[in-house]
Amino acid sequence: MEASLFDAAIKGFFNILQLKVFFAMLIGVSIGTFTAVAPQGLGMPLVYAILLPVVIKWEPVTGIALLIGASSVSAICAAYLPILFGIPGGSGSQATVLDGYPMGKKGEGRRALGASFMAGGMGCLIGTLTLIIAIPAAKPLIYLMGSPELFVIMLWGLSMVAVLAGRRPIKGLIAAALGLMIATVGQQAQSGIMRYVFDQPYLLDGMAISIIALALFGIPSALDLALTKLGVEQQAVPLKGSLFDGIKDTLREWWLVVRCSFVGVWVGIVPGLGSQVVDWLAYGHAAQSAKVGRENFGKGDVRGVIAPESANDAKDGGDLVTTLLLGFPQGVTTALFIVALLAWGYLPGPEMIKKNADMIYSIVWIQGIAGITGTLVGFLLAAQLAKLAEVRYTFMVPIMFIFILLGAFSVNRDPLDLVVVVGFGILGYFMRRSGYPRPAMILGLVLGDLMEKYLYRSVASYGFSWLARPAVIVLLALAALSLFFTLRGQMRARKEASASTFSGAVARSASES
Amino acid sequence: VKANLTLLFLVIFVVAAFVGWDWPNIAKIMPVYVAAIPGMILVFVQLYREVTGWEASRSASGVQMDEVSDVKLDQQTELRRTVGFFGWFIGGAVGIWLLGIVITLPFLVFLYALVEGKEKWFTALIMGVCTYLVIWGLFEYMLETRWPSGLLFGY
Repeated sequence: MEASLFDAAIKGFFNILQLKVFFAMLIGVSIGTFTAVAPQGLGMPLVYAILLPVVIKWEPVTGIALLIGASSVSAICAAYLPILFGIPGGSGSQATVLDGYPMGKKGEGRRALGASFMAGGMGCLIGTLTLIIAIPAAKPLIYLMGSPELFVIMLWGLSMVAVLAGRRPIKGLIAAALGLMIATVGQQAQSGIMRYVFDQPYLLDGMAISIIALALFGIPSALDLALTKLGVEQQAVPLKGSLFDGIKDTLREWWLVVRCSFVGVWVGIVPGLGSQVVDWLAYGHAAQSAKVGRENFGKGDVRGVIAPESANDAKDGGDLVTTLLLGFPQGVTTALFIVALLAWGYLPGPEMIKKNADMIYSIVWIQGIAGITGTLVGFLLAAQLAKLAEVRYTFMVPIMFIFILLGAFSVNRDPLDLVVVVGFGILGYFMRRSGYPRPAMILGLVLGDLMEKYLYRSVASYGFSWLARPAVIVLLALAALSLFFTLRGQMRARKEASASTFSGAVARSASES
Repeated sequence: VKANLTLLFLVIFVVAAFVGWDWPNIAKIMPVYVAAIPGMILVFVQLYREVTGWEASRSASGVQMDEVSDVKLDQQTELRRTVGFFGWFIGGAVGIWLLGIVITLPFLVFLYALVEGKEKWFTALIMGVCTYLVIWGLFEYMLETRWPSGLLFGY
């Protein structure tokens, strides 16, 4: 008999009550903290790509603890670089620099960090609570879905590449098509036909996504460090003030935290928005809705730190709603998380809700606990962590060499893995230089196998009449509408930007004349 | 570089469509009809955009899916450092193939820190020893993970 969601939640909690799970989460928290604080180039996609070959050999819950621990704390600690060095942090934390750095220069660095940790922790919990509420709410709908509906959902996810690729939709779609094609390399499960194997036994089982992701993201990031040959150029502002002032500020502005957290959750759930906009949306909302002291924004107003940080951390919960309940990734980090889940034998989406609800709740619990742990780490080690930002490239590049080569070789222990990692590393370098989005290729790789499986099952069970199923028609219409409205919104924004550039130029030339 | 990479993708899609053309429908729907043929069409559109400069003339607004390389170096320095980087990396991969991971990685770290990073030899040595301790001490000794010994030592 199928367990209720309440039982699954309890079981999910007991799953994580193991010493090794907590140990893995703490390692993840340490890695995530270092990633957030270390200078340039170390984003979560790279960390996931490096960790993936290692964790897929672990027990699922232990590996999940490491991955989720790293990603949730990375968002919470992302405010170090903006506040102390005036450098925009990773995507999602860039708006923090507008008020965080002026606060640091005014001798309120600790206050800004305190506000950022507190807002981040609260945002993370609000995102997690949304995920908890979304699971039972989505369950009745999920039971209506069969293979045809799941295929259309995957197609929807893939079509979002055109939106996510923003400025370069065609290049995004080309990269996704390449990913789809590489996903078909190997012996096809349904027919037994060898596809693109070229008599190479190495290719019989297909190419390991974990190696490709490691190469595509790891090598260009290491190369960036080797090219610039530096850590952080600027001197950090002295860390002064009190963390508790920041905590008090955040608690006083609790309603702003709640509002901005929901902005973050919404950005996480809706496909196509991406983490690049979340902090700016929240910052804009905070500045526009401020009843007093609006003119202080940009000059060191603590609300300018609280708003983007709470939204950025809440977004992870929203991301997981789409990833776990619908099974399509919102970005490259969640795409790699899906790769890990698939390697452990879970099929994210409706099937996981039906069969492995306890594992979904384990993820929810880990997300919440890691958020609290990350906040505490931030508070306790604020001064020590700031020193991490000064690590030199001569230490970072060899460390990345070790992880990339070790990670690639540990998958099959086959020297050909090294050829693949070098080959895809060079491809990743040229793709980034030429503006071909690498996340689109990873999405194609992840979704390719799943789409083919669902398409085969749909045709085998219903012929082509699956296209006439009501739920399929509704989902196709929703996909088309969401694609249409998002693209239209982007075109409008582009027109407005062109218009403002034009009027700015006219105004400038008028004033010059 | 841009046009060359787009042309490379065109070659890949053409070869993929050609190789998969004789497969039964069940096997070729995804690689040929969903990936290779649409991929070819998209590549032609992209080539048109590149040749006519259409893309460059558009506004630079919009979401960026991937990070953009913002390294600002003169072309010669960038090329020299890039080639050097890939030299180290490919050297590391070849070293693992020939000598095994336990020997290669500590040497790679030591030599990179000493030669490329211009660290003091003692610092570089400490880094190499730490790498050896992680790879041999943690993986081989504590976790009993045996790494292949390399072609020269009877892989």
